Amino acid sequence: MILTSSNTLENKEIIEYKGLVTGESLIGANIYKDLFSGVRDVVGGRTSRYEEEIQKARDMSLTSMIEKAEQLDANAIIGLKISYDNLGGTMGNTILITAYGTAVKYE
Amino acid sequence: MAQPSNTNSMEFKDKEIEGFKKRRAVLCIAIGTAAGLAVYGIFLYFHIDIYGWNLGLIFAPLAAGYVETIIANRIIGENIGAISAFILFIDTTFYSFILKNPTLGWNLITAGSIIVILQAAFPTLINYILLVVTGGIVSHFVNRLKSIERKIYYKIRNQDTVRWETPSNRNFEKFAPEYDEKASNEKINGLNFFFITSTDLVDRKHENLGQFNSNVIIGKDKKIIHADPKEAEKATLYDLKKGKDECLIKLSEEIKSSGGNAVVDLNIQYGLIGLGGDSFQISAMGMGVKLML
Repeated sequence: MILTSSNTLENKEIIEYKGLVTGESLIGANIYKDLFSGVRDVVGGRTSRYEEEIQKARDMSLTSMIEKAEQLDANAIIGLKISYDNLGGTMGNTILITAYGTAVKYE
Repeated sequence: MAQPSNTNSMEFKDKEIEGFKKRRAVLCIAIGTAAGLAVYGIFLYFHIDIYGWNLGLIFAPLAAGYVETIIANRIIGENIGAISAFILFIDTTFYSFILKNPTLGWNLITAGSIIVILQAAFPTLINYILLVVTGGIVSHFVNRLKSIERKIYYKIRNQDTVRWETPSNRNFEKFAPEYDEKASNEKINGLNFFFITSTDLVDRKHENLGQFNSNVIIGKDKKIIHADPKEAEKATLYDLKKGKDECLIKLSEEIKSSGGNAVVDLNIQYGLIGLGGDSFQISAMGMGVKLML
């Protein structure tokens, strides 16, 4: 599966547009995980944890999107968009990560 | 027979590496704590105070955290979370506020300071108690009063009480359903309509119909405290996915009614709207086109 944010695939011809594929995942909300942060924020103890969580969630979104593209018998996704939206939550920590693109078949 | 023994030894190796890492992590925390204590000792010895308030209280945990983070990055190659900063914070607070202050009495100022100290150390926990738990209890009673007021209002006007249905009323908490991704995929791509996210269609002939937009607003779960936050998360995700599908169908119908059969440069956005952000807004926008098939 080729993933690209561009409109075309270089040196390849798109023979069929298969449709829209999307993937969503949510992180945060789980406040209990993070109750004892504080002093650690200043020295950068927490950021790496958050990065890991976000990376995991993004991978989930992408996997779910790719599964749908496979279901449509596509072999590439073009015009890929990934967005991160803050959806409030208890401490403003609910983050929705969406990935979507156009599934295509190329030759 | 060679296979299992092989995997066993692999597992054993993994465990060994894990244990090795843990021992090194403990060493890093110990070094960080020692560095922090040394810094605090220096601050105490030279009396670096402002109005009798020792600056070591701030700088010792910071030093511990930095030393630990730097050493951990060198030795293990990853951040272990500045745990020594914590240890130092608790140590220094205990030493300077309790051990060195045997005359410390219980009054409003002491209680206030303890809350401030705890708030500095565990902001999320203390804010959670202060804002969420207290706020939740207050809002619960206010809601009770409101519902009583509404009942009285409808009784006086001789009408039935109106019940507001929001997604949170569906009581998902017990069993949040999985959204059927496969069915949703088939539904969206079986509309006889093309959703295209690329910004331009270079390889297909098409006619431009203009910009189209559609919105879906869904109620947000207003509960602040959840018995099972994971289930609540799942329920929210379910609502968002369903809302997104509705929004896309709405957009396709709008474009179809203008004679188009595809949308190019499709964007899907999620956001909060309403008073205090009490609803989700999902919008889909893009350029409606007529593809010459």
